[in-house]
Amino acid sequence: MERIPILQMGEFLLVTIQVDMHDQLALRLQDDLTDRIEHTSARGVLIDISALDMVDSFIGRMIATISGLSRIMDAETVLVGMQPAVAITLVELGLTLPGVSTALNVDRGMHLLRKRVGHS
Amino acid sequence: MSLRERGSQPVRIEQDVVLARQLTRKIASDCGMRLVDLTKLVTAVSELARNTVVYGGGGDMDWEVIEEAGRVGVRLVFRDEGPGIADIKLALTDGWTSGGGLGLGLTGARRLVDEFELDTAPGQGTRVMITRWI
Amino acid sequence: MVKLWEGVLALPLIGTLDSHRSQTVMESLLQRIVDTGSEIAIIDITGVPTVDTLVAQHLLKTVTAIRLMGADCIISGVRPQIAQTIVHLGLDLGTLTTKSNLADALKLALARLGTAAGERV
Repeated sequence: MERIPILQMGEFLLVTIQVDMHDQLALRLQDDLTDRIEHTSARGVLIDISALDMVDSFIGRMIATISGLSRIMDAETVLVGMQPAVAITLVELGLTLPGVSTALNVDRGMHLLRKRVGHS
Repeated sequence: MSLRERGSQPVRIEQDVVLARQLTRKIASDCGMRLVDLTKLVTAVSELARNTVVYGGGGDMDWEVIEEAGRVGVRLVFRDEGPGIADIKLALTDGWTSGGGLGLGLTGARRLVDEFELDTAPGQGTRVMITRWI
Repeated sequence: MVKLWEGVLALPLIGTLDSHRSQTVMESLLQRIVDTGSEIAIIDITGVPTVDTLVAQHLLKTVTAIRLMGADCIISGVRPQIAQTIVHLGLDLGTLTTKSNLADALKLALARLGTAAGERV
């Protein structure tokens, strides 16, 4: 079964989405991530979408859901690398992802996560 | 991509939604559509193709490179023989902002394209036509 | 478009903004943000005579898009009349950061970046 890999880096989980996802794959990622957060007691999740040239309402809602669920499990989520055309389209769609933290790239994203999780 | 080139492909299962996106991307890109416009079109296609699979019981996507009044565009039609939409007004109400609507993503898709036509009635299936000019 | 400082991009808008032009200008700004890795963009509207609904909504969309990408945006050159227009339009001002002039906007941008850099140590 096709799965999007989740990397563990200390107390953070890193997901890089590089494929054009069909809905089931997106839902599987959502489930896998929430499972991993629980089992590893991860404090942060970084989702890298720099390779995605399209984010529709389904994927957008998945991201918002992951962010919400992880917060409930005491983990912070940061979304990084959204491409300009994708950002413009999401805004036009009316999907502004309130409550989802963002950063320009993985480096800044990790910095933000460490700051939030209370490291210097 | 030459003018009046056209085609059709089934939109029956989830994977077909991905295929629909990819095909649209190729057609629009070959026509020289700008990246932002192309992204909007592909996103609209994703929403409508999903509706066709999930709510329409599966259907087809017809595509065509058209020319009208000197401008070139990409036109797509999503059609199914499903239950149809009973309340069009409700379907065209913003889903996630007001909490109402039917969550069909039709209003979103509509905002992403230049032309949008919805043809539907209970028991009559659904037909959505969208156009994005280059 | 000008790189004002490390991590700060400024876009002075001049003249009336028609829909098509403002769209292409904004798209270039977003791309420059990614290319330069700038965390803060300052859009200066001192040179824009009128801000109507369309322009205000467009600015708001741009700010939202910039935030989705992981950067932030300050609108400078907001005269009292413009501020009134925006409020009148009922737009969500809650998340919009504005300054009356470019210098103040730059000061704020540097303060924000400075804090971040300080915390990096």
